[in-house]
Amino acid sequence: MTYIEKPSISNVVKFDDPDVTQVKKLKVMLNTGTDIYQGACKKRGSTLKDEYRKVAGVCYMDPKDMARLGVGNWESILVKSDWGEVVCYAAHSRDAPHEGMIFIPKGPWANVVVSPETYCCSDPTYKGIKATVEKSDKEVLLMADLMRDVYKKYVKEGEETEELPSLGESPVYKKIRSQ
Amino acid sequence: MAYEEPVKDYDKIVENCTCAFCGSNCDDLDILVKDNHVAGVRHACRLGASKIMEDEDQRLLVPMVRDENGELVEVDWDTALDKAAELIAGSIRPVFYGWSETSIEAMKPGLELTELVGAVIDNQATICHGPTVQAVQNVGYPLMTLGEVKNRADMLVYTGSNPMNAHPRHLSRYTTYPKGFFRRRGRFDRTLVTWDPKFSDTAKLSDIWVPFEENGDYGFCNAIRAVLKGKELKQDVISGIPKEDIYELTEKMKNTKFGALFFGLGLTHTLSKQRNIDIAIQLVQDLNKYTKWVLLPMRGHFNVNGFNIFMSYEMGFPYGVDFSRGYPRYMIGETTTIDLLNRRECDVFMVIAADPGAHFPGGALAHLANIPVIQIDIHWGPSTEMADVVLPGTFIGVETAGTSYRMDSVPLYMKKAIDPPETCREDEWIVNELLQRVKNIKEASK
Repeated sequence: MTYIEKPSISNVVKFDDPDVTQVKKLKVMLNTGTDIYQGACKKRGSTLKDEYRKVAGVCYMDPKDMARLGVGNWESILVKSDWGEVVCYAAHSRDAPHEGMIFIPKGPWANVVVSPETYCCSDPTYKGIKATVEKSDKEVLLMADLMRDVYKKYVKEGEETEELPSLGESPVYKKIRSQ
Repeated sequence: MAYEEPVKDYDKIVENCTCAFCGSNCDDLDILVKDNHVAGVRHACRLGASKIMEDEDQRLLVPMVRDENGELVEVDWDTALDKAAELIAGSIRPVFYGWSETSIEAMKPGLELTELVGAVIDNQATICHGPTVQAVQNVGYPLMTLGEVKNRADMLVYTGSNPMNAHPRHLSRYTTYPKGFFRRRGRFDRTLVTWDPKFSDTAKLSDIWVPFEENGDYGFCNAIRAVLKGKELKQDVISGIPKEDIYELTEKMKNTKFGALFFGLGLTHTLSKQRNIDIAIQLVQDLNKYTKWVLLPMRGHFNVNGFNIFMSYEMGFPYGVDFSRGYPRYMIGETTTIDLLNRRECDVFMVIAADPGAHFPGGALAHLANIPVIQIDIHWGPSTEMADVVLPGTFIGVETAGTSYRMDSVPLYMKKAIDPPETCREDEWIVNELLQRVKNIKEASK
């Protein structure tokens, strides 16, 4: 069978690959889903911590696509779709090659760019979304900051979320803090 | 990973606990307890162990209510429950979402509360295997138990799922690796096939990997059905797979003794949604003309199937049940959570044992920013950042006993290993208290 041959995985992003031409913006197909690192971190409950940002706020890309954009592992990229845009880390995928496809594990970062459209089927479209990727110089936000920045539930009118201090990596218990 | 010393410092071992993570519900865990804390856990996978050895920094320990500055303030149980009951009793279109990570025992008062206030009750199936449930209603359910697969199956197909990441012990405990009664040599007697566009961690272990193209699942299943019915394929390449390979794979599938197809969210989250599952189920039906084939959805949470079974048994509908007219209604696309949020319809949202903040698309979550949210959970998570009332529950399967249903609909009683923190309450108690308080408010206003 032709499909029995499995690809060899190149783990390194080769910026000087002769097949690769540099581009500013890359058109990709976005998939989301679970991933063992995201699952373990989320269900342990460590969602406020930097660890969660490293496992869920990450976009797994084909090393060739990363070379095209000129981003290395753990550099920031901006993912844009019709439904929003989010800054996340780039990292080479261990399932490569899959050029033209990116994978963001499910979580607050992926939610911003996936489609809420259910087509009357109760289930939003989490996979197969058209998106673009470009290099970014912004820092990836921590979970609490991201939720504040995107949904602005408790942000007062006139306040800019980018100027507010970070909500930090641990739960804020008001009374315990004041004691 | 670095070598870690085994845990030797513990008071007692609680044997045969059930894992409260994924739908595999492994019921052979040994939890090592020291000073009423979990010191270690044996036999669990990476996911199960991480959940049981929870992050205690982020544990919700006290009830909290938002103050006028939008900050959560710790309050006593009475204040928090009264506030939550007031919100529920005063709402017009409340949605009670979650339930998949709690026990059947807590769902019972939850259903009573839903009926009392005319709410919509829904669970995580609405964003994961909802289309599966619809497809099962369309075309049937050639189901088995996982024990049958372990003892008999000689061909296993995983499609649209990656059990090595999401259900890590599924292969080793139920399907591929264990030695079964008719499969004495375990892995050597079985063929593992993965149909997935991605070279996933499961595909890396498989004997055959079929990388059909994105959104190509429907076409691929249809091609196999056509070959099974003796038709000739007219295209050379279908969904990215050469037709010779499809003939060869179909022949292999026909010549197995017992085949099992497992499918996950890869099928339900793409554009064809429930039609993907329809065709997968019909494919299994067609294969049964030649040999024995069964199929099973890879359910995510440990009790997501339990809620569907519970609701079907009590109300006749599996999920997304609306009581606003006083009787149960079920209308996909109308009474399901994401659609209600997309249409900006609901006015109070109660989330119990779930995390919409982490799993709902932004377009739906944006509505939660406009309405009061009540959260019953054990950890400070993305939903807590949007919650107005926070009620700390207990951890089913570790701190509280309860019943859950495995992905193949086998009910399991989950033991408790340690006592819950003093200030937390069981989900069942919280929902019961809410029910009583809402009843009191309704009676007082008559």
